[in-house]
Amino acid sequence: MKRLITILMMAGIAVSMSSQAYAGGDIANGKKVYEEECSDCHSLTAGKNKKGPSFFGVVGRKSATIADFNYSDAMRAKNVAWTPEAINDYIKAPKKSVPGGKMKYDGLDDEKSRTDVIAYIATIH
Amino acid sequence: MKNKYILWGLLLLGLSEPALAVPSFARQTGQDCAACHIGSYGPQLTPYGMKFKMGGYTESDGKEGHIPLSAMLVQSFTNTKKDQTEDAAPHFKTNNNASLQEVSVFVAGRFTDNIGAFSQITWSEPDRKTTMDNFDLRLVKPMQIAGNDTIFGISLNNNPTIQDPFNTTPGWKFPYIGSELAPTPAATQIIGELGTQVLGATAYTLYDNHWYAELGGYQSLSKNILNKMNIDPADKISGTSPYWRVAYFNDMHKSAYSVGLFGLSTHILPGREAGPTDKYTDIGVDGSYQFLGTREHVMTVDGSYIHENRKLDATAPSKINGFVNRLDLSTSYHYDKTYGLTAGFFDIRGNADDVLYNTTEADFGSANGSPNSRGYTLQADWTPLGKENSWGAPFANMRLAVQYTGYTKFNGAKNNYDGYGRNASDNNTLYTSVWFAL
Repeated sequence: MKRLITILMMAGIAVSMSSQAYAGGDIANGKKVYEEECSDCHSLTAGKNKKGPSFFGVVGRKSATIADFNYSDAMRAKNVAWTPEAINDYIKAPKKSVPGGKMKYDGLDDEKSRTDVIAYIATIH
Repeated sequence: MKNKYILWGLLLLGLSEPALAVPSFARQTGQDCAACHIGSYGPQLTPYGMKFKMGGYTESDGKEGHIPLSAMLVQSFTNTKKDQTEDAAPHFKTNNNASLQEVSVFVAGRFTDNIGAFSQITWSEPDRKTTMDNFDLRLVKPMQIAGNDTIFGISLNNNPTIQDPFNTTPGWKFPYIGSELAPTPAATQIIGELGTQVLGATAYTLYDNHWYAELGGYQSLSKNILNKMNIDPADKISGTSPYWRVAYFNDMHKSAYSVGLFGLSTHILPGREAGPTDKYTDIGVDGSYQFLGTREHVMTVDGSYIHENRKLDATAPSKINGFVNRLDLSTSYHYDKTYGLTAGFFDIRGNADDVLYNTTEADFGSANGSPNSRGYTLQADWTPLGKENSWGAPFANMRLAVQYTGYTKFNGAKNNYDGYGRNASDNNTLYTSVWFAL
């Protein structure tokens, strides 16, 4: 039991450290990255869906849960919570992460840019 | 009469669904006008807009019930430095003319996952009639080839280059709108002169979001069909005119560029009379660059150079080989998707030909028979709407523009080019417009 608690604690610390890494991203640069890479298709306004769903409150949201957005079957099947880590994996290579998804974006290669943009959109809620 | 209505119906519905500032596209996709258009107003396309066009106007937000209808109105005022010798057009004066330049209805949008269209019917005060304007119906099939996104498409259209996505060819290059009531240089190139007179089918592909290739052909519409569409029949193409286009395109989100080649070869029967033909071969090279950044400061550069080789066996048989070359360069800067400045330069050069150019017409002729013309166009515009949180979005759209075109050479000379004392700079044109779309 002690061993299980220890493992869970270590896992929690690891997740927390990982999330803190995103929380420590450069928000100002993240805003710039959002505007350069994402803003054509994703609004920051609650309820405003463009080609892609709104980013308002996306961090922590369960995937494919905006009621009036027409998700792909592949995204509906993904069934994850959009943790910073899950978002990072997705935007690194969207077509690999969700084969058959609708997002045509090729992916954001630069790790710092991903960290910063996630830190920025985490402030939109 | 019944057949005429059927033809309009086919054009509006069957061949029916845009690439100007057509708000029905914004309603269909959920996107802002600014996503597809530089400065939030058409027709200059962003990389996103280019892909939307190449995708056959079919992209949507996945919801049903979008009505593929839009409308546009352009009111303009034209002043030339010196009055024209005769009225600019019937019902207009020799100078300082206000004009309800265009009132258009668009059937524009997606019909199925694979079929979309942009078609425009226009009434204009200078012409005082309603005619079929631009038309582009597309059938597309997206697929994967070697693991790369690929689009195969077919465009049925009525104007060579109207289907082109890159802001550089005659159908869509700067200036995107201008005066129809001021003198313009006499020399034109056939690739930009066939609009609405022809129907063409081209097959195209975009491979890996980079490589674009297109091949097709155009034939003249019959007199009967043109008359039913209120279009005065012009010269006729003999047979089929091949059109081709290749380009490399790279959208890097913060910036984008394209380089390409295109061409059209055509044999024309002047006056639609059987006999010898005038033969034209046009070959163009073009390129574009856009800095998009955070979309707050957007800068573009577009350019094209078209060489036209001519063998005018019907019109001017004494001239075995003639040519017209045209260079167009433009650069724009837009701030906050709202305030725009654009500067363009053009240079037209060709062989002297008295039959074609020394028409002895005041204002329009060339006393030395030369078509050489050169000048610039400057434009400032304000587009207050068309953004995500704009008033009335996605229905209300407006652009106010002031444009000045200056000529340093006109039809072969700087001074007294027509032999009646008119100078190139006398045609310098101040053009203002207010442009609405919904």
